[in-house]
Amino acid sequence: MVEYLLVNHIDLLHGTLDLMILQTLKWGPQHGHGIGQAIRASSRDALQVEHGSLYPALHRLERRGWLAAEWKMSEANRRARYYRLTPKGKKQLLKEQSRWKALVRAVAQTMRPARG
Amino acid sequence: MWRIFGGRKREMELDEELQAHIDIEAARLEAEGLSNEKAASEARREFGSRALVAERTRDSWGARWLTGVRQDLEYASRSCRRAPVFSVAVVISLALGIGDATLVFSVADTVYLRPLPYPAPDQLMFVAMRIFHLEMTLSPDYVAWRRDHSAFHELAAMQYHGGNPATLGGKDPVEVRVTRVSYNFVTTLGVQPAMGRNFEEGEELPNAHKTAMLTYALWQNHFRSRRDIVGQNIELDGVTYQVISVLPQSFVMPLEVQTDILTSLPITPTMSHHDPGLATWTVIGRLRPGVTQAQAFANLKSLFAASKADAPEIFRDDVSVMMEPLQQRMAGNAGALLLVLSGAVGCLLMIACANVANLLLARWSARSRELAVRAAIGARRGRLVRQLLTETALYCTAGSAAGMALTVLSLRTVAYFAAGLLPRLNEVKGDGRVFGIALTVSLLTMLLFGVLPALRAGRVDVQSVLQHAGRPGISGGYRTARRALVVGEVALSVVLVWGAVLLLETLWRMQHDHLGFAPEHAISVSIPLRGATAAKANRKALTEEMLASIQRIPGVMNASWGECTPLTGGPMGTSFSRSDRPLPKPWDRGDTVTGCAVGPEYFQASGMRLVRGRAFAEADYDHPQTLAIVNEALARQYFPGEDPIGHQIDGRRNGGWKTIVGVAADSKNQGLNQPPAPQMFLNDLVLYPGSDMDFVVRYAGDEALFSGTVRASLQQIGPGLLVNFESLDQAMGRMSAGSRFNGMLVGSFAAIAFLMAVVGVYGVLAFAVGQRAPEIGIRMALGAGPLSVQGLVLKEGAALVGIGTALGLAMSFVAGRYLTTLLYDITAMDIRTYAAVVLAIGIAAMTAAWVPARRAASLDPTVTLRGS
Repeated sequence: MVEYLLVNHIDLLHGTLDLMILQTLKWGPQHGHGIGQAIRASSRDALQVEHGSLYPALHRLERRGWLAAEWKMSEANRRARYYRLTPKGKKQLLKEQSRWKALVRAVAQTMRPARG
Repeated sequence: MWRIFGGRKREMELDEELQAHIDIEAARLEAEGLSNEKAASEARREFGSRALVAERTRDSWGARWLTGVRQDLEYASRSCRRAPVFSVAVVISLALGIGDATLVFSVADTVYLRPLPYPAPDQLMFVAMRIFHLEMTLSPDYVAWRRDHSAFHELAAMQYHGGNPATLGGKDPVEVRVTRVSYNFVTTLGVQPAMGRNFEEGEELPNAHKTAMLTYALWQNHFRSRRDIVGQNIELDGVTYQVISVLPQSFVMPLEVQTDILTSLPITPTMSHHDPGLATWTVIGRLRPGVTQAQAFANLKSLFAASKADAPEIFRDDVSVMMEPLQQRMAGNAGALLLVLSGAVGCLLMIACANVANLLLARWSARSRELAVRAAIGARRGRLVRQLLTETALYCTAGSAAGMALTVLSLRTVAYFAAGLLPRLNEVKGDGRVFGIALTVSLLTMLLFGVLPALRAGRVDVQSVLQHAGRPGISGGYRTARRALVVGEVALSVVLVWGAVLLLETLWRMQHDHLGFAPEHAISVSIPLRGATAAKANRKALTEEMLASIQRIPGVMNASWGECTPLTGGPMGTSFSRSDRPLPKPWDRGDTVTGCAVGPEYFQASGMRLVRGRAFAEADYDHPQTLAIVNEALARQYFPGEDPIGHQIDGRRNGGWKTIVGVAADSKNQGLNQPPAPQMFLNDLVLYPGSDMDFVVRYAGDEALFSGTVRASLQQIGPGLLVNFESLDQAMGRMSAGSRFNGMLVGSFAAIAFLMAVVGVYGVLAFAVGQRAPEIGIRMALGAGPLSVQGLVLKEGAALVGIGTALGLAMSFVAGRYLTTLLYDITAMDIRTYAAVVLAIGIAAMTAAWVPARRAASLDPTVTLRGS
């Protein structure tokens, strides 16, 4: 049995899902299904995004102007809604990345065993 | 708007986007080797609740509240339609509460807050001298004061008691009300005639050309809106006046004076305190712009000081000067009545809110399973609360609309019945102000009955509700909240019922207590003889001729002239004097008795009883004002422990001392809500030369027929004579109109409140029995008899009713002093009334409790135990 974390907007640190979506879209436009799959694959099945969190996040990021969406034909020969990063989204991604790194460093620091 | 329409497209897109996700996943699974169908179903399963994902996504949209509102509305109206009886009950409760409250608050608003219908109304002041309870201005002082313009732009005067009745001559004579005013009266109020001109100063002089202004209503109704009326002559009591103008339709006479025609007061610039007759007038002043009330009052005081210096013999130390904003003056003593009515509708509104809140809590508690399911599939608490709030808003809107309709409908009725009781009623209309008040009341109502229960019910304990297999309201059914509401309902209805009983008792006592005469079949006939007509007539001959012609009419049993009726005291009041005691000092202000001249058959005709002695005989009228019949009140007050018959009284007036020949039973000669005043009846045609020709007739038969016959026979004596009829029953009805209005209005509020409270008690207990059915089943299985189960429920009911009643009694105790002024012959602290109300509410509420109690006792333990 594969162990994985179910990603939803409550359990994960706020903004983490947003960061992962932006990161995924750095490689090019993708639809919701593809984004979910990509996060799962790149985390080697460790993270699985709940659809009830993914789609609200996508729509929220689109509203903020970080993503843009358009209907395109998918590989399965079906019309799907493709999201891509906007220039504003790219800037946001850089900001989020550095914040994330700082956070990880800080959390890792606290996890070190106490001296003594 | 765009969002709502755009929303539909967006919904479809979202739907397609999610469908695409499932399709792509299915395609992926198929590529992994699953069969087509298997892949599709597996993809759907993997995706989870599509509705939930869609809803969460919609929540992230900007217009989500709007979409939500639309959804909530659809959902709420569905849920309201599912329970039509419940919905109708809620809407009716709200409509009654909101409608009544809006009605009374609108009247209160008009009386206290709505500006007077004149330009710059806050500059208008009521100005007067105060002697005891009288507030008026003497004519010479008015003339002196209005010359001083330093604080007042203008000072205007009108007759003290408002309009006099007068006969407007013509082919079809009618009685109109004429008010004499100073030349600047209309301009001081800031009003311009609709056509024609204002009075001029010269028209006040006694020998000036007589002119008149017509009100719009008179011009419209009597003169059929004739455009050429200005310049025409009219005849008032036989004197010719020239019409100079018609007042605008919007014109309202200040201080509730009923008037059809304005004419000039006789004012000469040389009026002084040493003139033989001083008139008393009502004075209204308009402040100069920028002058404060304090400055104006200071100015008035210095003017009054000058008046006082001029006539110290008139202005003794008990006379002072006063000034009051006209608005405040016109609100007058409506305060007590409005306070009581506002309190009553306030109670009613609160009861309605409590009732509706209770109904809603019960219903939502029964729906807790539905709410729990919605919570379980992902509705957040805020969402549930919003859903319930939408439902209450829907009810509130419907209730407000119905209440508003009720207000508009009842406004006219109330204005009709309360005319004369409350000032300025003709200004109350179903306009924006009333609507604004209704809106405020509705919002308040919604806050009271909707928001709190919604917040309460939105807190659903999903686990417990679902685990108990949807047993409704096992989580408590908001027990405490519902009980508190019922206790409040009972308490408020105790207050309302108590107040209504007191008011109705007042009405009953006024109409039935020691009336002192038999009003049935007694009709008073009044023929105004005024002005020139009166001067020309030989009163004695005319009276006798008319009396004879009335007596000839078949069905007339007794007829007599009389300046009073059993319900009035007569036109003259004098200081009492008796021949065997010292005379009172001149200008003595106490100990007055009223007197009236009556004919020989007066007591039989009016249905009054002679207690002792005899009535007047025909021959007694050869020596007028030599004999007297006194009433019991006079005998009690001035002849305590003596037999008044044979004593001589009232020596100062015409005819010298009068010998008492009889004592009549007391009648309500000061009106129905006053004790009888000392009164004497004298053997004469008339005491006051200005009296109308008044007859009292006892008639067996149809009154309408009687009035027609009398009119016809009197027309032969004096063509064009105006004849007024009023049966004593009608007069009593008119006099008790105020009490009837109070009693009926508060009574109907109380009836509604009572009903709501009883329904509330029933609802809470019936619900409690349903809830406790398993527990009751266990008790019965363990051997509890039906009686003890019944007792269990009744005890709970008794606790609710007992606490509510006690609270209600405490509240009425406090409310008592506001009610006192509206009561007659009964005090607000009347123990019997308290006892009766407590008993009535106790019995009704316990009957309401008994129904569910019996149901509880008849529960079958095997069924209820299996059910749980």
